[in-house]
Amino acid sequence: MLLFLLAAGLTLIFGMLGVINFAHGAVYMLGAYVSFAVGKYTGSFLMGVLAAITLTAVVGALVEKFTLRPLYDRPHFYQLILTFGLILVLADLVRAVWGSGYQEVPIPPLWNGTVDMLGSTIPVYRLFVIGLGVGVSALLYLVLEKSTFGMLVRAASSDAEMVRTLGLPVGSIRMAVFAVGCGLSGLAGAIAAPLFPVELGMATNTIIDCFIVVILGGLGNIRGAIAASLLVGMVRAIGYVYMPSWVDILTFVLLIATLLTRPQGLFHRTARTA
Amino acid sequence: MKISQFDVFFGLVLSTLALSLPFLNPTESLVHLTTLVLIWSIFAIGFDFVFGSLGMVSFGHASFLGVGGYALAIVTQRYGLPFSAGVGLAIVFGAAFALLFSFFALRVSGIFFALVTLALSQLFFILADSKLRSFTGGSDGISGVERPSLLGIDFFDPINYYWFVLVIYALVILLVVSLRSSPFGRVVEAIRTNEIRADQLGFNVNRYKQITFVISGGLSGLAGSLLASLLMYMNPQMLHWTTSGDVIIMTLLGGSGTLWGATIGVLAFEFLKDWLSSWTDYWYGVLGVIFMLVTIFVPRGIVGELARAFATRTHKRSQRASAPAVKQQQSTQNKQTQEVSL
Repeated sequence: MLLFLLAAGLTLIFGMLGVINFAHGAVYMLGAYVSFAVGKYTGSFLMGVLAAITLTAVVGALVEKFTLRPLYDRPHFYQLILTFGLILVLADLVRAVWGSGYQEVPIPPLWNGTVDMLGSTIPVYRLFVIGLGVGVSALLYLVLEKSTFGMLVRAASSDAEMVRTLGLPVGSIRMAVFAVGCGLSGLAGAIAAPLFPVELGMATNTIIDCFIVVILGGLGNIRGAIAASLLVGMVRAIGYVYMPSWVDILTFVLLIATLLTRPQGLFHRTARTA
Repeated sequence: MKISQFDVFFGLVLSTLALSLPFLNPTESLVHLTTLVLIWSIFAIGFDFVFGSLGMVSFGHASFLGVGGYALAIVTQRYGLPFSAGVGLAIVFGAAFALLFSFFALRVSGIFFALVTLALSQLFFILADSKLRSFTGGSDGISGVERPSLLGIDFFDPINYYWFVLVIYALVILLVVSLRSSPFGRVVEAIRTNEIRADQLGFNVNRYKQITFVISGGLSGLAGSLLASLLMYMNPQMLHWTTSGDVIIMTLLGGSGTLWGATIGVLAFEFLKDWLSSWTDYWYGVLGVIFMLVTIFVPRGIVGELARAFATRTHKRSQRASAPAVKQQQSTQNKQTQEVSL
């Protein structure tokens, strides 16, 4: 589900803006560090998560406004390359503030327990993460498909000129979408913090997993991202049980198999061309 | 690609600098740095051969570089083959990997191309880092990679090795120039400007892309073997996808699609790195900021802008038929130093 939260942000940004955000992993890392720092300072996990979402969303908004906006008219790869530069900047900023060591975030006491379910023991926190993932995906779906704002976003992605002509602020809409995408990534980072050690490698390692999910699901396809993150998660889980050392390779084999047979992603529907 | 007056002029300046360096009593670290720049330039030129002439962003080039390095290291150490065979195999392996990548990556285009090459190169990174540990030495790498032995010259001497690399670099430049101005290069150029038209004219677009990619992979493999030999060490970090990111930064900094852009980009990158890291630990971040600014404001890169400035100046000059060439040379150089020290 963590993968889903990440991939959702990435695919949202791509689907609506046509931008591949290479710095998505870096934003995820930033979220984890912020939640670590704020959580430690205030002693409240919730505060940490909220701070992480807010800060990453603000960073996203600023990045969109000042760096991506001049590039929409250029070929795609400029945006790709720009966000790569952003990784370097974010990674070194984090390193400058928090140093390069590992950080640990304790699991919040409220969720610190286990339940027995179907004969196996599952930490409550993991259930919470799953629940949150489901909640966020439902919310995202409702906002995008049912609300007026979602309609505007979709309109701006399919015909920006027309929306602009109608007097609507395309720039602000794009900024909002980028901010929400980054905020999702920050949220993922914040709730991942208690599960994994918080470290600098998060930036470059996570993004690869993210890309795998997004490619498998089809770029810009949020429902595809849900299914693909489940698929990748399951492949990994099963792989870890039967052949732990081959898991990463298995993921890539899955990816390559998909690309050879369905380059548009496993869950591509021709109707959706956003 | 047409070789402009500017390219010739710039090449003369660069080759004067490169040829005079060993006679200026340089420090060992400067020679090392310059050799490094030359090797990375070969890599960047190889990369730009795809990026600049076809506009395809490949994140797979780290693999080709790495496989070249490993080819040399393993072949010379394990099988006792001579250095030249190692380098030859490095080129072959780089090209072969590029061919392998192209089977997957050329099925898709645009951003997907970047993503597929990224995924593939990460796969090979994991393989080299953990799966093939017995073969590649895992994350410890392989140390004691050979230097060439030729005519009894001692290539462990940095200056001699510098000459060796410089000659190879010159050959690579010649190769790229002749390829780009050949009929083959013209077709590639046509594909970049209008792929659909090139296709309609009956050219096998995919085949041309594949060949370009393979040549590019071969050059990267060559650079990888030279790099391993310079550092006398080889580790999987060279295959990590961020290496591909670095080479993109370099190429764009210098100006992609131009003859000297890759070299100047590497030069700027390495010297900035050297200079920045002497006063801050966070040079990578600062470099990232510079790079982002360049992407936004100077998309043509240093050489691209210089070439444009040069073109407008010569244009004006031919109108006025005055302004001595010496003055021009100075101003171009000044501008370059300004921009490098930006």
